[in-house]
Amino acid sequence: MKSKKSQIYKEASTLPSIVPPWLAAVLSAIVPGLGQALARAIQRGLVIFFSFISIVGLLIWRFTDAAPRDEGAFDIIRKAFRLEPIFVLISIVFVIFYIWIIIDAYQMAKIAGKPEKRKPIVVMVFLILVFFVIGWQIGQIDVYAFVTKFGDAFPAISRVLWPWERAITYPEEMWMGTAALETPCDDTQPPPTEPLDDKPYLIVDPTCGIPSIQVDQEDNSIEVIPGTTIHVEGYNFTPDKEVEIWWKDPAISQFRHREGGDILRVIPDEKGYFETEITWPYRLIPDSYLEGGANWELQGRQVTTIGDWEFSAELKMAIEKMIETIFIGMMATFFGIILALPFSFLAARNLMRTNAFTLGIYYLVRGVLNIIRSIEPLIWAIIAIIIVGLGPFAGILALVVHSIAALGKLYSEAIESIDPGPIEAVTATGANWLQTIMYGVIPQIIPPFVSFTIYRWDINIRMSTVIGLVGGGGIGYLLTQWIRMLDYSAAGIAVWFIAITVALLDYISAEIRERFV
Amino acid sequence: MLEIRNLTKIYEDGTLAVDNVSFTVPDGEFLVVIGLSGSGKSTLLRCINRLIDPTEGEIIWNGEDLAKLEGDDLRHARRKIGMVFQHFNLVDRSSVLTNILTGRLGYSKTWPTMLHRFPKVDREKAWQTLERLGIEDQAHKLARELSGGQQQRVGIARALMQDPELMLADEPVASLDPVLAHSILQHLEDLNQEDGLTIICSLHYLDLVQRYSTSVIGLKEGKLVYQGTKKDIRNMTDEEFKLIYGEEAIRISDTSLEGSLGEVVEQ
Ligand SMILES: Nc1ncnc2c1ncn2[C@@H]1O[C@H](COP(=O)(O)OP(=O)(O)O)[C@@H](O)[C@H]1O
Ligand SMILES: [Mg+2]
Repeated sequence: MKSKKSQIYKEASTLPSIVPPWLAAVLSAIVPGLGQALARAIQRGLVIFFSFISIVGLLIWRFTDAAPRDEGAFDIIRKAFRLEPIFVLISIVFVIFYIWIIIDAYQMAKIAGKPEKRKPIVVMVFLILVFFVIGWQIGQIDVYAFVTKFGDAFPAISRVLWPWERAITYPEEMWMGTAALETPCDDTQPPPTEPLDDKPYLIVDPTCGIPSIQVDQEDNSIEVIPGTTIHVEGYNFTPDKEVEIWWKDPAISQFRHREGGDILRVIPDEKGYFETEITWPYRLIPDSYLEGGANWELQGRQVTTIGDWEFSAELKMAIEKMIETIFIGMMATFFGIILALPFSFLAARNLMRTNAFTLGIYYLVRGVLNIIRSIEPLIWAIIAIIIVGLGPFAGILALVVHSIAALGKLYSEAIESIDPGPIEAVTATGANWLQTIMYGVIPQIIPPFVSFTIYRWDINIRMSTVIGLVGGGGIGYLLTQWIRMLDYSAAGIAVWFIAITVALLDYISAEIRERFV
Repeated sequence: MLEIRNLTKIYEDGTLAVDNVSFTVPDGEFLVVIGLSGSGKSTLLRCINRLIDPTEGEIIWNGEDLAKLEGDDLRHARRKIGMVFQHFNLVDRSSVLTNILTGRLGYSKTWPTMLHRFPKVDREKAWQTLERLGIEDQAHKLARELSGGQQQRVGIARALMQDPELMLADEPVASLDPVLAHSILQHLEDLNQEDGLTIICSLHYLDLVQRYSTSVIGLKEGKLVYQGTKKDIRNMTDEEFKLIYGEEAIRISDTSLEGSLGEVVEQ
């Protein structure tokens, strides 16, 4: 038995083409799809026409986007090819598609009226191919970069995965030895530093000189005339531990010494002694500081840890914010429940269908709840931040609004699915209204309510970390800050806390649900 | 004595469920209401304890018209009328004990019951009732964990906690298999014969009707079409039966139910 569809198909294809094959091909070359349409493959012609138009549109957009400063089709295309070689591929596929359209029109006209098969699959394959290549370019997919630069992420990822070195710190103490210098050299130059017994000190030679000078050249470049070279010796430093060389200039600002652009690193030997040569650096100092000889100070700084480890500030902050997050979720759930309850009764069909008025309220409440629920908490957070400013309260508000809608719907469905039988039975015993609610209604709705509430609490805590990202307080806020500061270890601590909390919560909610439901 | 006079119930959608029905039930009677599904049995029973408000008519019980009662008076009247349901109507997620204590709600102060507190006497009574129905082992289980037969015993126990003078049973055995049906009906028979409890029970199977009833009424499309004694129903003819159950009806004793019935009855 032949299906009706194939019969219609056959009838349509029994008609011969309106135009000869060569004309169909020419027409399709001018207006892609026209040849097919005239060959009685109207659908095929339409699909080809509209796809062709949209592909051309997309190509114009992408090419001009790739070469925005060029004018003229030829320049634009050449520039685009050079900048992004994928355009070459796109163009090749496009040209093949165009040629195929012409050939297809010829064939369509030829087989029109004959029982030969038309293959819509080829059209589909071509369209998918063209759109795929364009999509690849629009999506700026760069597998090469992804693969080759994947390794770059390892330091950051490894710090996120194991951030715990950052969880503890050792209290630090700065160990500093100094030497005085003066500029320019006059008869009252500072004496050499007095040696000390148990504290580090520096001895410089000479103790006076001139700093480097910068001279502006005519061609706007800057020439640096090096200052006096100073021989520095350090004594009594902690052995084998890096010493940082710092300057205190006459304007009392302190800065780290650089030699040839790089930070100078010196490591004292086992006796705590080192020596090095440095060039007196350039410093832009207001004239008022230079009258009657300016005093400089050279410092050798060593940071050493003293005493036992302690928890780092980051860890403490992460814990505090995690607790804040849990409470944001809790408060949001709490207010969500309280406010969702009245709405849930109004949104329960079995309670509201008694007359047209209450049914109207039912539809209204249902509709509003649905609209609120369909807006992401993130967007509510942004609105709340506008009203109450950054911080946990904004996060709570956003989650409360969303919870009311979500819980209201779930609760109302629980109420709708109540079995009226037990209520009838309790009423029949002579119980009053309150007793009937307590013994006939509550036991039926408590398990689903508890279940939905825990589910919501779970969601709210997870959401509150996300809401923190836009400034709604909690650990999410901290996490974004740390990520922006590229402090991946600290961010890792936050990520760990979030993961642990969510996992714990999952476990707890599953347990509670098992007990109650 | 319960006297129903010209009772009519028309539902909001216009369905005439009970049509001008009158009959009397002397104390100590085991009255069985028969009729096809949809003939108005449930509506009639629910009008008596006012789970459904009758449209017209009087329900005179102990000299009081139940149809006119409101508020506390109605609740006080309900306390004395126990009810057993086809689908048991237990609170699934409450314990058996709580379900049974529910029967005392009408006698208890509201606030203690909000905290699930019942007087000691009520608790003792609950255990006695459980024992009487042979389900004391199940007391702390959730109602939904019980089998159908056990659930219906809980339903009877709940009604008994009310110290009822009248027991309404709306197809109490329709969701049970025949053997269980007999054990449940025997409990009701017990209450009827030993405690002198008046029982109004709707039943589907003629065999059960013949076995347990002391008198019978038949409903068809809301109208009272049959009234008979135990003796009448034993001698009921096919014509009379068809009047109630419709033209295509056959005697239910012809069906396979007979076998299991016979066994239990003989024992
Ligand atoms: N709440 C209701 N609203 C409208 N019609 C109802 C309602 N309950 C029952 N009915 C109708 O009333 C008639 C009697 O029903 P019912 O008393 O349940 O009969 P039975 O218990 O004998 O099967 C039936 O036609 C039924 O459809
Ligand atoms: Mg019924």
